Amino acid sequence: MTSYAFRLAIQSILHEKWINLLSMITIAVCFLIMAITALSVYNIDLATKTLPEKFSIMIYLKDNLSSEDSKNIINTVKKDTAIETVRFIPKDEAMKELKSFLKNTEYVLEGLDENPLPDSIEIKLKKEAVGPDSVKKLAERLKEIKGVSEVEYVEKFLSSLYSVKVGFKTLGIIFIIIMSVGIIFVCYSTVKILFYRRNKEIETYKLLGATKGFIRAPFIIEGSVIGFSGGLLSLIGIVSLYYTIILRLSLTIPLFKSIIFPAHIALFLPLAGVTLGITGAAIAIGRLRY
Amino acid sequence: MIQFQNVSKHYENQTALRNITFSIDKGDMVFINGPSGSGKTTLLKLIYLAEKHDEGNISIAGFEVEKLKESSIPLLRRNIGFVFQDFRLLDNRNVFENVALSLMIRGVSEKDLKTQVYESLKIVNLRHKADSSPDALSGGEQQRVVIARAVVTEPTIILADEPTGNIDPDLSAGIIRIFKDINAKGTTILIATHNRDLFRNSGKRVLKLDNGNLVGDEKG
Ligand SMILES: Nc1ncnc2c1ncn2[C@@H]1O[C@H](COP(=O)(O)OP(=O)(O)OP(=O)(O)O)[C@@H](O)[C@H]1O
Ligand SMILES: [Mg+2]
Repeated sequence: MTSYAFRLAIQSILHEKWINLLSMITIAVCFLIMAITALSVYNIDLATKTLPEKFSIMIYLKDNLSSEDSKNIINTVKKDTAIETVRFIPKDEAMKELKSFLKNTEYVLEGLDENPLPDSIEIKLKKEAVGPDSVKKLAERLKEIKGVSEVEYVEKFLSSLYSVKVGFKTLGIIFIIIMSVGIIFVCYSTVKILFYRRNKEIETYKLLGATKGFIRAPFIIEGSVIGFSGGLLSLIGIVSLYYTIILRLSLTIPLFKSIIFPAHIALFLPLAGVTLGITGAAIAIGRLRY
Repeated sequence: MIQFQNVSKHYENQTALRNITFSIDKGDMVFINGPSGSGKTTLLKLIYLAEKHDEGNISIAGFEVEKLKESSIPLLRRNIGFVFQDFRLLDNRNVFENVALSLMIRGVSEKDLKTQVYESLKIVNLRHKADSSPDALSGGEQQRVVIARAVVTEPTIILADEPTGNIDPDLSAGIIRIFKDINAKGTTILIATHNRDLFRNSGKRVLKLDNGNLVGDEKG
């Protein structure tokens, strides 16, 4: 019974090879765009995960604090659970850093008798504590501490980092959903065309006593084969794209070196093809009536 | 085997069958005769459920048609072999495949399928045309392929709609002989025809239709 279904499906696939090939290629292109989107979102997500390590908050202390006071402040800061590391930067060291930063344009500092820089504390946060709201609250807490004159961090950096990340993810997911619907639609139309073309044949099947399953099975198989082939074709496409373009580019542009190609995408594409293909075919056949 | 009780069938603008009552026993061979448009094809369609009757009760091979679930329709049809008036051969398949289709639908294994198909092609004398396309056959040959497809499953009932419609008198007699042989093995057979020569002096039962009414039930 099932072997007949497979034979009928294969006969039909070969017989209508141009329609089938066309939809396979269309599906492959959709999947390719989908895979590139997923790959980009995946890599952006990965990149933004390492960024919080670079994020720091500067605490500037008031002038003329005793070293005792400074120590107290440092100890209070250290107690905060959100904080990973604390580094005290005395104003002399800050000056040194500034001078080495300016290097050849050091002369702009000439004429300063006194070091105008304050003592400061640089803190780094635990990864999970880096977020627009949590940092804002922390900064407010730090400002309350006696002897602290100012708390500074790059607010824009944080909020834009998060909106970029969330934005890309949402956009990517919406895009992937649209593409999936597109693939279902391609399978749907293909199977619908084949179904209409064989309408007379199907009527005869029914009259000769075929069950609905017997009639449906070849179309479902055909849909899944089209979807699977589309997925496989796109997989070949994305792998060759990766090896020819990205790997070669990474030799000259270091940014490309950090692009990661997740291997499970290789399984996902043909599998998604089968699922979407079957869905499209099932919708195309619809309810059969005797 | 087949019972009609006060059955009527209306199409949108006309009545094709009016208050028909008859009963056919297992193993009978019965002709349905009447002029064109009298309702012969409609009567056969009610038996294999290609059309639904509007009034009355029909019972086929133990199935009560009014109570039949949609999913049981294929089961009912598998008891029946059809010879359609319009043949319904698939022109993208050869003769062998057309006959084999009946068996594939019933899930018959590949091995049994081959012997059964060749056997039934032999009955209608078309063993040598197994690989031909139906398009390449004469009307009479196509007619016999349809008969082979109907008998290949060894059904309990055979419904034949004008099985000699395209055939010369000599060949017609041959086809009726094929049906008689099958009937002799216990198969119930209904043959719809406007050709009285087929049953004249046959001693078989003849149901006469005229304009949707059953007007006669006699021996031919
Ligand atoms: N699907 C249909 N829709 C509307 N009217 C129909 C339909 N099928 C048949 N009829 C009408 O019902 C009547 C009976 O038709 P039927 O096909 O049963 O006649 P028949 O005895 O088989 O004729 P013939 O000998 O020409 O095959 C005819 O008048 C026909 O026009
Ligand atoms: Mg007719």
